Amino acid sequence: MILTKTDEDLHLVRIAFREFYFNHGNKVEEPSRIQNREFGLMGFDGVMKRHLTFSSLGGLVASLILETPSDVFASNAQYDFPVLPISEKGWRGADLIFDIDLKDLNLKCRQSHSFLTCYSCSSNYSSGSQECCPKCGSNNFAESMLPCDRCVNGLKNEVLKLHRFLTSDIGISPEKITTYFSGNNGFHVHVLDESFNDLDRRARADLAAYLMGVGILADVIGVTKDTRNDFRVRFPKGGLDHGWRKRISERLGISMTSQKRLTNLIKELGGLEQFRRRVAEITKEMGVRIDSQVTTDVHRVFRLPGTLNGKSGLTKILCADLNSFDPFDESCQLSNREVTVKITLPKLKLRLKGERFNLTEEIVRVPMYMGVYLISKGLAHTVHFDS
Amino acid sequence: MNIRLGTADLAKYPFLNEAAEYMHQTYFNLDDLNLPELGHIVERASNRIRSEIVHGKPDYVLERHEVEILTFLVGILIIKAINSDNLTKKHCLCEALRAEKFLVRDLKSQGDLSNKKLLIFKVFKELLQMDVLPSLKYQVMFEVKVTDYLKRSHLFYEQEWKLINRLVHDGRVFLDPDETVRLIRSEVANLLLERIRQMNPSHIPATIREQANFLKSIIPVAPRNLDNAPSVYPPCIKHALDHMAAGENLPHSARVMLATYMLAIGKNIEEIVSLFKTAPDFDERVSRYQVEHLAGERGSRVRYLVPSCTKLRNDGLCFATSQCEGLINPVQFGRAVKFHSRNANVGQV
Repeated sequence: MILTKTDEDLHLVRIAFREFYFNHGNKVEEPSRIQNREFGLMGFDGVMKRHLTFSSLGGLVASLILETPSDVFASNAQYDFPVLPISEKGWRGADLIFDIDLKDLNLKCRQSHSFLTCYSCSSNYSSGSQECCPKCGSNNFAESMLPCDRCVNGLKNEVLKLHRFLTSDIGISPEKITTYFSGNNGFHVHVLDESFNDLDRRARADLAAYLMGVGILADVIGVTKDTRNDFRVRFPKGGLDHGWRKRISERLGISMTSQKRLTNLIKELGGLEQFRRRVAEITKEMGVRIDSQVTTDVHRVFRLPGTLNGKSGLTKILCADLNSFDPFDESCQLSNREVTVKITLPKLKLRLKGERFNLTEEIVRVPMYMGVYLISKGLAHTVHFDS
Repeated sequence: MNIRLGTADLAKYPFLNEAAEYMHQTYFNLDDLNLPELGHIVERASNRIRSEIVHGKPDYVLERHEVEILTFLVGILIIKAINSDNLTKKHCLCEALRAEKFLVRDLKSQGDLSNKKLLIFKVFKELLQMDVLPSLKYQVMFEVKVTDYLKRSHLFYEQEWKLINRLVHDGRVFLDPDETVRLIRSEVANLLLERIRQMNPSHIPATIREQANFLKSIIPVAPRNLDNAPSVYPPCIKHALDHMAAGENLPHSARVMLATYMLAIGKNIEEIVSLFKTAPDFDERVSRYQVEHLAGERGSRVRYLVPSCTKLRNDGLCFATSQCEGLINPVQFGRAVKFHSRNANVGQV
């Protein structure tokens, strides 16, 4: 995205971010055991400085005002020596975090509000409409998205599904689950239960597969291979009342007393192999669409709550009540002072900070938060602002 | 918890802290092992290790607790005196298997629930810091905390151990007695291994040294007829061979990979069976049957192929290097290496 921004664009965004950290530094959340975390600050030049450490929130905020990074990250892991290279840090455990991103939901509306920005000449097009840039012929595009209300609802449903899995199956109490809007196209779900902190990569991968519904065996509901009759049905001794067993049996409409019904169903589907495929389809469909790479990485740096997202100018913010949470309102915390920008798409309808914008002119005066949002998405360039 | 286990339990689980306390209370001295009265204990411990070396199987005979606790102690003293890493691992695994058998039986028994709970507490919580409870919901099932399960289950390669294939509810995984105990087998073995490694006896009594010298003389020497050069074998096979050489226990899927690969490159059954001799749980009869089965000489008479790279990746057995690029099966590795080296030579001309 950096290639699509001019020096003036970066200057405006940097000023807006500095203002935010100067006026709202108290919104930046201090991670637990801050002195054991590794921090990463992404500059507006796209270069990430990692292996940084801060002993207090005050020191971190001072650094954010001074350096004004585009993005601020803190490790999910705690280390003895956070500043040393990864192999020498001394890993002491990592918070369990889930990432639910719009790109993984494959919603139908995605195409209608995705845009491509040509890396060579910064021209914008609707996603999918171009194979190469008609202006300069380049086929190197950056894709950006302006999530709509349907996207937000889709994300919320997925987060609620994850909450249900974590509470009913994994036994995590609701107070130990916190949900954040990432500031762009997704939600981060943090688990505050320290008994999960010492799980290694493989254990987390197993947990992620459970939540995503990957790797199920038909044996789970008592359907096994039989050399004589292709398959055999013998319900498991633990019953079908909980976890995936319950989800699958409910979807198939079977219970512990419907052995004959299940047998007929398998025969109708065409045998054991087809039934196995059907069960795998059900679990994939009913599983949570998390990014498993994120959950299994025990050395990852995550966007710090209360800081700005360089891809949108919105804040990563805690969702106290997910149902009523409106990311386009609550996470928009940049100033209202006006800036003049040049829009690179013919028509744009947007809603931010409780206000609706119908942008039909090429040159428009908009509040700073909207200007930064459009520039960050690669959909506008700075014309004028009073620094 | 101050409630104590019965002596019958100490006989079955002599590695528990209470067994050590019992020995402490008897004012046992290492030199007592030179006394003729304890000769039968030294002989019993020696025979047990001999059986482990020769048959690769644990001894399941159960005597009264005084005998069992002493046999266990003498056994690890002999192992310490032999000072063979492979044999130490084998002995620890056999002791773990022995305890596993008793523990499964105890967990399955319909006896007093409070006794069962106490045993579970002593073995799982005190020894391994693991929360296990008899299930009130399902008879003859046990509840393990999800985190405790996840920390251990990834050691198993079989799909059935994946969390998704388990009954999970409210932070608990429900397991039958066999599965509950299987979950900790390698942990008990590792715990014993660690104890033996850290053990530093002031001296080794003469009777123990004598038995150790005898047992040393019957330990089979690992076969060297298989070329273990890194340039010949693909990294997955090399990795498995290294683990075998170190006396580690390979998962079943890794053994299948190793055996089918060796068959594919023309090794005979005898050579392949002898390759597994260093495995802590080696049983020649079982190994031979399995290798012959893979070779198509038994059972379905189908000769098994070497698992594909994709399958090995999924099973966590792939340790690919740059030389593996473009391969779909480990058997192609030799040709790929030759191809690369030929190309490298062309470049140098």
